[in-house]
Amino acid sequence: MPEIKVTPLGAGQDVGRSCILVSIAGKNVMLDCGMHMGYNDDRRFPDFSYITQNGRLTDFLDCVIISHFHLDHCGALPYFSEMVGYDGPIYMTHPTKAICPILLEDYRKITVDKKGETNFFTSQMIKDCMKKVVAVHLHQTVQVDDELEIKAYYAGHVLGAAMFQIRVGSESVVYTGDYNMTPDRHLGAAWIDKCRPDLLISESTYATTIRDSKRCRERDFLKKVHETVERGGKVLIPVFALGRAQELCILLETFWERMNLKAPIYFSMGLTEKANHYYKLFITWTNQKIRKTFVQRNMFEFKHIKAFDRAFADNPGPMVVFATPGMLHAGQSLQIFRKWAGNEKNMVIMPGYCVQGTVGHKILSGQRKLEMEGRQILEVKMQVEYMSFSAHADAKGIMQLIRQAEPRSVLLVHGEAKKMEFLKQKIEQEFHVNCYMPANGETTTLFTSPNIPVDISLGLLKRETAIGLVPDSKKPKLMHGTLIMKDNSFRLVSPEQALKELGLGEHQLRFTCRVHIQDPRKEHEMVLRVYNHLKGILKDYSVQHLPDGSIMVESILIQATAQSEDQGTKVLLVSWTYQDEELGSYLTSLLKKGLPPTTT
Amino acid sequence: MDRECAQLLPPVCAVLGDSRQLVADDTFLEKFLDWFKTLTETESSLHLLQENPCLTELITCVLKLKDPSSSTLSFILRLTGIFTASESCFQYLQQRELLNSLFGEEGPLSSALWEEASVRSGWVQGVHTMTQHQSAIHFLCNCGAIDVIFTLQGDPSLFVASAANRLLVHILTFSLQSFQTKPVNIKDCDWPICAQKLIPHLEESLKSSSASRIKQSLKLLTSVFGCCHDLWTEVLWSQLSEPITYLLENEPFNAGNSLVDLFLSMARSPVFSCPECSLWKSASYALEHLNPAQAGCLSAGILKLQECPQAVRMQALSVLLQPMDCVLKAASQPLEYPGLLNNSLSDSATIETLLSCRSSCASLLCQTLAHLEELLYLTYMPVNLPHIPLLKSVVTVLQFGTGLATPASSLGSKISRILIGCFRVQRSALDILGAFSHWESHSVFMGSVSDILLAYLKSPDTSPTVLKKSFQATLKWLVRLSEAPSSRDYWLQTEQFFRDLFLVLQKRLCSHCWEIRDSALEFLTLLVKHLRDCYIFTEKEEFRQVLVSSEVPKFTEDLLEDPESYVRASAVLAMGQLSFLTHLNSKIPSTENGNGKEVKKKSIVAQLQEILVTDSEGFPRRAVISVFIDWLRDGHTDVLKDTEQFVSSVLQVVNCDLDWEVKAGGLELAEVFSAKTLGRVGLAGCPYVSVVSAATRSTQLNESLQIFYRVKLFEFLFGALCDCDRPVAQKACSILIALKAELCDENSLKEGLSAEHSFPEAHGIAWLEKTLRRWSSCAEPCPIGIANEAGSQNPNDILLVLRTIDLEGLNKSLNRSSDHIENSPQSLLQDILATVGTLEENEADCY
Repeated sequence: MPEIKVTPLGAGQDVGRSCILVSIAGKNVMLDCGMHMGYNDDRRFPDFSYITQNGRLTDFLDCVIISHFHLDHCGALPYFSEMVGYDGPIYMTHPTKAICPILLEDYRKITVDKKGETNFFTSQMIKDCMKKVVAVHLHQTVQVDDELEIKAYYAGHVLGAAMFQIRVGSESVVYTGDYNMTPDRHLGAAWIDKCRPDLLISESTYATTIRDSKRCRERDFLKKVHETVERGGKVLIPVFALGRAQELCILLETFWERMNLKAPIYFSMGLTEKANHYYKLFITWTNQKIRKTFVQRNMFEFKHIKAFDRAFADNPGPMVVFATPGMLHAGQSLQIFRKWAGNEKNMVIMPGYCVQGTVGHKILSGQRKLEMEGRQILEVKMQVEYMSFSAHADAKGIMQLIRQAEPRSVLLVHGEAKKMEFLKQKIEQEFHVNCYMPANGETTTLFTSPNIPVDISLGLLKRETAIGLVPDSKKPKLMHGTLIMKDNSFRLVSPEQALKELGLGEHQLRFTCRVHIQDPRKEHEMVLRVYNHLKGILKDYSVQHLPDGSIMVESILIQATAQSEDQGTKVLLVSWTYQDEELGSYLTSLLKKGLPPTTT
Repeated sequence: MDRECAQLLPPVCAVLGDSRQLVADDTFLEKFLDWFKTLTETESSLHLLQENPCLTELITCVLKLKDPSSSTLSFILRLTGIFTASESCFQYLQQRELLNSLFGEEGPLSSALWEEASVRSGWVQGVHTMTQHQSAIHFLCNCGAIDVIFTLQGDPSLFVASAANRLLVHILTFSLQSFQTKPVNIKDCDWPICAQKLIPHLEESLKSSSASRIKQSLKLLTSVFGCCHDLWTEVLWSQLSEPITYLLENEPFNAGNSLVDLFLSMARSPVFSCPECSLWKSASYALEHLNPAQAGCLSAGILKLQECPQAVRMQALSVLLQPMDCVLKAASQPLEYPGLLNNSLSDSATIETLLSCRSSCASLLCQTLAHLEELLYLTYMPVNLPHIPLLKSVVTVLQFGTGLATPASSLGSKISRILIGCFRVQRSALDILGAFSHWESHSVFMGSVSDILLAYLKSPDTSPTVLKKSFQATLKWLVRLSEAPSSRDYWLQTEQFFRDLFLVLQKRLCSHCWEIRDSALEFLTLLVKHLRDCYIFTEKEEFRQVLVSSEVPKFTEDLLEDPESYVRASAVLAMGQLSFLTHLNSKIPSTENGNGKEVKKKSIVAQLQEILVTDSEGFPRRAVISVFIDWLRDGHTDVLKDTEQFVSSVLQVVNCDLDWEVKAGGLELAEVFSAKTLGRVGLAGCPYVSVVSAATRSTQLNESLQIFYRVKLFEFLFGALCDCDRPVAQKACSILIALKAELCDENSLKEGLSAEHSFPEAHGIAWLEKTLRRWSSCAEPCPIGIANEAGSQNPNDILLVLRTIDLEGLNKSLNRSSDHIENSPQSLLQDILATVGTLEENEADCY
């Protein structure tokens, strides 16, 4: 029985790092190759030993697919391709390929900053890895090899994020990666056609949540920034190099424009230019509004946002600064934080998740006295705000996508076990499909019934259509013929053609059944009774009493003989060909019930 | 455990033992366990438990919970495992009857939570850590744990199953460690109880009809023979060889891969190395009967062994070469030269069937090529590989791949159809072609190898990844040949190759695909660098002529303005190398503008400096700095013209750069410059320089100090020391320490410093930042490279700062990980406490 196997090495009942192995029709595909930012040792990468125990990586895996540029989906890729030794094809969309190295470099910097470059990929490795990447367009069917093909759909989560359909023959799997079903300020909503995959692997970060409108969070964000600036305070927004930072920049830029605000906004590391470049380059990936207004005004050309110099941090007066890295791990964002933390007029806004072991995590959990170098204590008097701008589909969105794609089964990843359990039940109830939620290292096996394409001979087709109704392309039709399986191909032909082609003689097989009937009368009288009985019941059939004393019901022959030992028992021989098996069996069962009593 | 942690531990344990308090992030628990692993390495576990009763209370408390979370239970199992690795601690917890409730039948085994993979995983890991003494082994045998582990071998979670298998290996090897004498047979009552349970289980599994059970057992044996080379392993083999031989003879395909691993693991053990050992008979049988892919793996493993019967080795070689032999014959009938194998020895029908099928052909060839490549790189090769026919077969594969080979049989036609455009096979074949460069001479190269390489480099159908491999293989051959003693001869023959190569390179530098442009530039850089550095290669001038006469240098220069930053960076590095060899500035000094007037073309130094100032991306700027370091180190003519001016201007630009790696590069440049300066004035470098007088030394010091002052070296270094990026500050600190050692010699400073400056107090970064601000506020704008006389600082001020700043203290703190405070155990414990109650507010989020 053909099967699809799914084994998460990461994202199985967790949101740490995505890495899912899918085996479909003998092809092995790795979906995402993410990194866990909460660890500083080998635990940050998925445990690839499961794959390496199956022989050489490149021989085992047919391809790797990366859904988007976030590090929990692509962070382990250079490690996997340049250090573990995978040398096969890697697929991602064009924007992901362009932006991935920036994020990887950003994280490499944090790692080197912490410990020095030990057991971590280098810049050269990132480049070598990216050179192996094949970039794909949306809705373009890419042939990985003769049998395996992939197709990308818009996922909306971040610029370039895609869902991927993986197809081998008639079997298919859709992997959503992270997606968002509602459009936001610069991206559209995820979309997929009714592709009816055998399995839909969906993220489930907000499996039990119905999220409030992002507009509310945006308004709240602007309000907080505005209030702080108005009272002369400084706002620090720690961000990763690319992604959410640009979204918030657009937000502030338009707000500053509208309100005619004068306080400076700075962006560290000259990232605005780079982001601007990529967002311009991939304008087709943004939402309709941005695309429409692009000719009049490019949203990513910021008038108010300027490059930051570290000396500006000491300038008096209000300002807003976007600085990397995003979790206050180290570097510039942390340096600015230290300078500003002591003033209650200032504010730090954390626009995303922070892992343990970072200053960001500490302040979000409410710690206000932080130990610094040399056992000094930094008292955090500035306001600390957390605002999640992560763009994931909520429970409603996930159900909407399932409705859209109509999968035969669903598998949940990238979520917490308890929340997944709730959503799983909901999906099974509403869509009547199986829903799975394997933990990391657990394999889910699905049996599929793939369609097998069969060629049909023209003669048979003409004959069948001649006797039937006008063919309707949308309705399946049952065809009878002989299936010839030869040279890895299947053909349905008429039995005569099959005999001719294969050089075989025709033999007819008849089944004969004996039915004993208690009747003391003479044979011909008994036959007449049988004839009348059948004639009375089988009104729509042709029932004939033949001159030789036998009865024909369609092609079925009934003959009567007397049993030599017991004249009171007659034997009826019912004989039919295999084509009339149904009628033959019916007649036999009918006769076995006996004849009705005669009314004289 | 320090006092602060000891104080924080009880409330943390209370939180962890409270089912109402959720610890959402599993990394907390993992790090908590890491901490205890480190603690128990240095402290007595028993002492830890006795000093911190909250730990035992935590274990008891979790056991009493009606509905503990799976993550908490898993954590407790692992934590207990860490403590009980010490026998005294094991007894301590045993007396409190905790161990049976955790690892015995009363424990989670019988609870609903056992359904959770994380709990089973925690149980296995806990038991594994605990099994470090005989008491633990006895406990496991008595509480039925061994049977649980047997069951977990077939766990639905791969991680649990594989951990259970590793645990059984550990239990077996550990319990037999004390087994000094060689047992006569397995039924000896001397065998420890654990082994008496385990070995029949293994035997039974090997005879079972379940493929997964067989595989697990073979895997277990592979690990046992791999990690333990004691004599008892021989007895174990004698006990189990029968079912394994049965498997080999009757189920060779299902268990094939596992059998290969087992045989290779045994073959590497000295216990089985004697030629009479039954292992070799099994291995030989396996080579004959396993499928070609499995037999290929076994062959490759056997050929790497130092100790192996020659007959088995030769058999392995035949197996490995067979696919290549088939390819060779498929392209040429009859063979122009001896084939790889003697026909009478090989039955190639199976291989031919595999090679004629699309899905199996590429796999078999890739695997064979990868195995052979590994063998080619071995320094010790126990058999002679038939290099020439093997190389010919690899070239044939490549010829098939690009449609150049003429099939000589129907198999050849099929292979040809399959391999055309098959990038996987092309990449593997090019990898091994590069490996051949270690073995073969230029005469072979000038034959079919150079032709096929050029064909791949030229072909428009070559994919970017295949092209990169082609460049790598070409480079390996050229490097190898340039190092050969007969390089003159080599040059005469390869000159035409270089001409053809540069023509191809020109095209590739104009490719629309950035990956190709980049690979071409990387190849050019490495080639020029190697030939420039290779002292045996005497035809540098001829090579230079060929290079300069091509358009390659011009196209490379054009790529300095490529839209892709990776390519710009590679072009910078290539120009850095080319400028050494081609003296480009003198060759292409000017161009004509529209009015027919000559426009002075920018020198390469000026072009690179402009990139350093204007390029918006980090990679090209980093590349420029790296080129400048090379130029300064190797004495590039353009730099030597006015080194001070060059260094000063570069440092000034780098000082304003926001990229930390550009800054780190700038610091390396500063380091090279300071070392060169000190060396030139005679202060550093040669240990054999005769001792100079104090007066001479003082003059030398002043001279170098003046130079550093003019290029504003110290302003740059002090600025970098205040940088927020640790690697930058760390590098600056180490350079300053080295300079301080040279320049701040007590005696030599006496003349320059006033009395009140003699014993300054050590200051930190805040003081330095303030000083630097004061300097910059006093400074007037001045031309690059000329020190500002009006500024408040002078060389003596600099020396004073150098002496005053606490460089050693800073160095100590910069050498530590920048997150060492956040990652300390105190910080972890504080975070656990702080997180309690905030979960609802900051619900688990991600990116």
